[in-house]
Amino acid sequence: MTNGGQVFLLDSPITAKREVARDMFVLAVRAPEIAASVRAGQFVNIGWFSGPLLRRPFSVYREDGENIEIILKAVGEGTSQLLAMKPGDRLSCLGPLGHGFGLEAGPRRAVLISGGLGVAPMPLAAGEATKLGIHVTWVHGARSSDELCTESQGHEVVWATDDGSKGFAGTAVAAAPDADVVLACGPNRMLAAVADRWPEARVAVETYMGCGTGVCLGCAVPLKRGGYDRACKEGPVYRAADIDWPSLPSHLPYAVTA
Amino acid sequence: MSDMAVAVGGVKLRGPVLAASGTFGYGTELPVLERRALAGMVSKGIFLRPREGTAPPRISETPSGMLNAIGLQGPGVDVLIRDYAPKWAEWDFPVFVNINGESALEYGEVAARLDGVPGVAGFEINISCPNVEQGGLYFGNDPRAAAAVTEAVRKRTSLPVWVKLTPMVSDIGVIARAVEAAGADALCAINTFVGMSIDLNAYQPRLSFRTGGLSGPAIRPLAVHLAHQAALAVRIPVIGIGGIMRAEDALEFLVAGCAAVQVGTATFVNPRAIAEVHDGIAAFLEAKRFTSLTDLPRYLPRD
Ligand SMILES: Cc1cc2nc3c(=O)[nH]c(=O)nc-3n(C[C@H](O)[C@H](O)[C@H](O)COP(=O)(O)OP(=O)(O)OC[C@H]3O[C@@H](n4cnc5c(N)ncnc54)[C@H](O)[C@@H]3O)c2cc1C
Ligand SMILES: Cc1cc2nc3c(=O)[nH]c(=O)nc-3n(C[C@H](O)[C@H](O)[C@H](O)COP(=O)(O)O)c2cc1C
Ligand code: FES
Repeated sequence: MTNGGQVFLLDSPITAKREVARDMFVLAVRAPEIAASVRAGQFVNIGWFSGPLLRRPFSVYREDGENIEIILKAVGEGTSQLLAMKPGDRLSCLGPLGHGFGLEAGPRRAVLISGGLGVAPMPLAAGEATKLGIHVTWVHGARSSDELCTESQGHEVVWATDDGSKGFAGTAVAAAPDADVVLACGPNRMLAAVADRWPEARVAVETYMGCGTGVCLGCAVPLKRGGYDRACKEGPVYRAADIDWPSLPSHLPYAVTA
Repeated sequence: MSDMAVAVGGVKLRGPVLAASGTFGYGTELPVLERRALAGMVSKGIFLRPREGTAPPRISETPSGMLNAIGLQGPGVDVLIRDYAPKWAEWDFPVFVNINGESALEYGEVAARLDGVPGVAGFEINISCPNVEQGGLYFGNDPRAAAAVTEAVRKRTSLPVWVKLTPMVSDIGVIARAVEAAGADALCAINTFVGMSIDLNAYQPRLSFRTGGLSGPAIRPLAVHLAHQAALAVRIPVIGIGGIMRAEDALEFLVAGCAAVQVGTATFVNPRAIAEVHDGIAAFLEAKRFTSLTDLPRYLPRD
């Protein structure tokens, strides 16, 4: 999977904010160097004055060459503070970090599967795939239609809701067709289901992170071959079959179950 | 510019700010680093053999701090020598290896293997390890065990030997004197405090290991006090550690009697923290018109 190379530490003003589903928001921040180099599946580690001690990791949702966007819900102290901020307020952005999906030309069809906030890396992934001439089907799920982020960029999209209020009634995983390449992001439980069906899928996992830069070993991902590696450095994107899923904590409530 | 150089336990350092063990990897990972300000680094704790570390979750944020239970994950001494020491040998600051063991013998063996390896400038003994031969009692809590480990390392190397003290003791001066007598060149004070945090949805600890080491600003006043007590107890230099985020925090340790400091958790928050602390100390010395860091007044009233 690809490495983004140079990492930047930027003082970035918030430039825009919009609501994309119930309680789910997109924040845009000015970060040209990151926007220019970020690859799908990479993340930024964000801190701010008077925020919590540790930075908070967020996937890059979209970029326009000047700004990067992140998508979030208020799930705790840090995300609540972020969503209380206004355009003009400044964030410290460290990134791009980690290894992304590492898409390469070759496959003909890609299926992107996301649940809840797992939508985060998919716009960049869809864009990269399309540029490489790969046909994209995007399957996105949430609990109900009002929690479903339906921003998409003209790809073949399949919606899935647990309550059947929009699209397929059931999970995104159940709704997904087969393909040459499967990319997935969502709660770890959902990713474990992806791993069962497509061991070769590339999945973006979530862990707690201390540093995001590879120095603390706090973001341990248990591997099937034994031992751990770092979600922030070797990950957050893994080959699904490489992860020891039962040992990866799944109770972290950041993403809404699909 | 004021002279920022300091002599600490057998080495001359170009400044007073080092990177603390476990918060700086092997020195090869961190982006946007400003090496010019780095007086030295202490590498992640290593054992003789590879260690997997503990199951996740390994960290949890707490008010003004964090708990960690990494379990001293590491590749073992042989890989350290093969993969990292050759890089260290080319750097313009010294690298100290944080060594660990389950017995005094293992500590000594780790030191012996690393002694003379180009790139290894000295040792920091982490005595916050359970002593397997003594049913898991911590070396660092017992002056005899702490001294035995120090001696075991001292006998196997002529490089500087620093001993990193744990705060989980009733009198840090007792341990400090014991390891000084056993041949330590300097003391590092302190390692993390043992803490616990409970997940109210799961009705269980947030860390899989149950407990973890508390670091960050939350421990700073405790650390300043313990480093001060250690400095009062011994003649060898003390390196202060605990919750340093800014230059003022580091200066507190220096005035309290420390010869140098290590910065840990702050590097997670700000990869440039070490440089900012270094530059801030220099600016303070300028502003107060000290020509050298050694002129900084120290508060060390000895009876
Ligand atoms: C590589 C990566 C990419 C991420 N991308 C996104 C994203 O695009 N959008 C988004 O909303 N979130 C994302 N997250 C999760 C995000 O970092 C957490 O939601 C955030 O840290 C919560 O911070 P808080 O202060 O609001 O919550 P806290 O008050 O710290 O905690 C609230 C709850 O959130 C959980 N939590 C806290 N930190 C994390 C974490 N790092 N990972 C998982 N759960 C956590 C805890 O279990 C806690 O109960 C990502 C995490 C990683 C590791
Ligand atoms: C994630 C993490 C890993 C650590 N690993 C080690 C270690 O391997 N050996 C050691 O002696 N101390 C280790 N420490 C302790 C630090 O070196 C330092 O003593 C402590 O964190 C207090 O300083 P701080 O508040 O500046 O972080 C670790 C600390 C953290 C946060
Ligand atoms: S978060 Fe620190 S090593 Fe990954």
